[in-house]
Amino acid sequence: MATGQAAGPPITRAARKKPNIVSRIIKHRADYLYVLPALIVMLVVIAFPIYYTIELSFFRTPPNLQMKDKIWTGLSNYSTVLNSSVFHEVTIQTIIWTLASTVFSFLLGLGAALSLHREFVGRGVLRALLLIPYVISAVAASYVWKWLYHSDFGVIGAISVALGFTDEPINFLDNRQTVLASLIVVNIWKEFSFAMVMLMAGLQTVPDQLHRAAMVDGANTWDRFWHVTFPHLKGVSMVTILLLMVANFNSFIIPFVMTGGGPADASHIWITHIYQLAFGRQQWGVASAYAVILFVVMMTLGYFYVKALTRGDENRAGG
Amino acid sequence: MTDATASRIRPVVKKSVDWWRWAGRVFLTFLLLFTVLPMAWMILTSVKSQFAAMQYPPQWWPAEPTLNSYFKLLNPNERIGQDFLRYFWNSFYVSLLTTILGVVVAVPAAYAFSRFRFPGRNFMFFAVLVRNMFPAVVFLMPLFLLMRWMGLVNTHGSLILTYLTFGLPLSIWLLKGFYDNIPIQLEQAARIDGATRLQAFLLIVMPLSTPGIIATSIFSFIGAWNEYVYAYTFLSRDDQMTLPVGIQRFFTEFATDWPGLMAATFLMSVPVVVMFLVLQKYFVRALTEGAVKH
Repeated sequence: MATGQAAGPPITRAARKKPNIVSRIIKHRADYLYVLPALIVMLVVIAFPIYYTIELSFFRTPPNLQMKDKIWTGLSNYSTVLNSSVFHEVTIQTIIWTLASTVFSFLLGLGAALSLHREFVGRGVLRALLLIPYVISAVAASYVWKWLYHSDFGVIGAISVALGFTDEPINFLDNRQTVLASLIVVNIWKEFSFAMVMLMAGLQTVPDQLHRAAMVDGANTWDRFWHVTFPHLKGVSMVTILLLMVANFNSFIIPFVMTGGGPADASHIWITHIYQLAFGRQQWGVASAYAVILFVVMMTLGYFYVKALTRGDENRAGG
Repeated sequence: MTDATASRIRPVVKKSVDWWRWAGRVFLTFLLLFTVLPMAWMILTSVKSQFAAMQYPPQWWPAEPTLNSYFKLLNPNERIGQDFLRYFWNSFYVSLLTTILGVVVAVPAAYAFSRFRFPGRNFMFFAVLVRNMFPAVVFLMPLFLLMRWMGLVNTHGSLILTYLTFGLPLSIWLLKGFYDNIPIQLEQAARIDGATRLQAFLLIVMPLSTPGIIATSIFSFIGAWNEYVYAYTFLSRDDQMTLPVGIQRFFTEFATDWPGLMAATFLMSVPVVVMFLVLQKYFVRALTEGAVKH
């Protein structure tokens, strides 16, 4: 940051900064006490596991996880992952899952936020009701939807028969063609209101005067949305989409509880697949290599996330 | 007040405004049905007998509503009831401890990140935030080994420690936002009047950041209450299980008891939904904090 910042002062800055770093740390030593408890907990539960996962990914470890019996295998775990056909299939499913869930949740949330922006009776109640799926546990949501999708007594199948869409109840979850889409619907049900709340907060930052000015100038509703509202929502939308993508990429409970990744791996995504490799088949090395790959993908997303989030903070701190 | 001004101007573009308004209403109705109907069906199923639930075509409205499933789950004299109430208590206990410890650890850290400029601050803050990005599963294997090594497998300690860490980034981030908004001059004034830094913190900053603490507490509590992956992996003893995991046992043991499962799901959701409804303002604030500059 400092290098790109200015052409003039770097010499004096570097000269001033470097000899002082130790004394600055000493001078600020009391400040670290505040962060210490958080730091210790994070080190134990986060830094150690990261190191460990990377280490495990280079070894073949026996199913019972006796670490002393592990065998160095170099990169073979990585090639096992990258060359398996299941990996390719699961990757495509992960992409479909993440993109479809994100896009639809965002669009539903945007529609809801725009519709709820105007004051009307019952607005607060409506917002609260729409948020309930987001608050309850994904396990609860999974069971409720599993029952709705039930192949014999499921209400969705019964409705589609009653309305004449199909002749007999559809077997949503036991069919390779429908299972992923069915799970995506559950995921959207669970999380669209997150996008709604974020965008509602974003809408409040749009100055009222701009809308009125546009109205006086004769702009119609669409023009006002496109030229006034939308530019103001860009920042919030970015963060929302990023957070949704991360959450969807990381989701586990809905596929795991509802189908366990089946039938025939058709509803596996990366996370559930890693879990199955590790705790189902005890292929610790392969699962770790898989996790490291996921790690790299997440770091890339994480970079943009932090960048988007700390933008305002850096400005305030003044660099 | 702004609406009044707006409505005076509105007639100019009246027609198109109405069209969009109707579109909004239709859309909201659709969304409301999409959201509420599954929950309604859960509740309707939970008051049916097992026989009534397993019919095709389904009974749209329960012909003979019964609270049997609820009585069974909440009866401490029956085995199902005993198990359910124990899971409920376990969930509550773990969530509460996680929340309290989380606040104790996050408050000083957030305060330091907001007020001090110590070397490594940015890096640490980055590390704290990045943790948000990683899925539970990546940490699951090594954490399982770690917990085994520390002798914490099958204890609530393993869950509390894990939830604490994974809640911390968000808590610190939220609280920092609140501290940033408290003018530092208030503390300085107190210091000039002879208060120590600790006194200034406890008497000036803490009371002002109560909304932030409430907001982070709700988040930690709901997060811990709903957590599934770690509880599923770390706990194998029946008497230790929390609700999301325990409920799965009902499902496998009584594979066909859908009314019972729906009743259990309902009861499991009640505490978090009530908490959310009561403290909605804080919850929404916490959710959007940071993404939107107020």
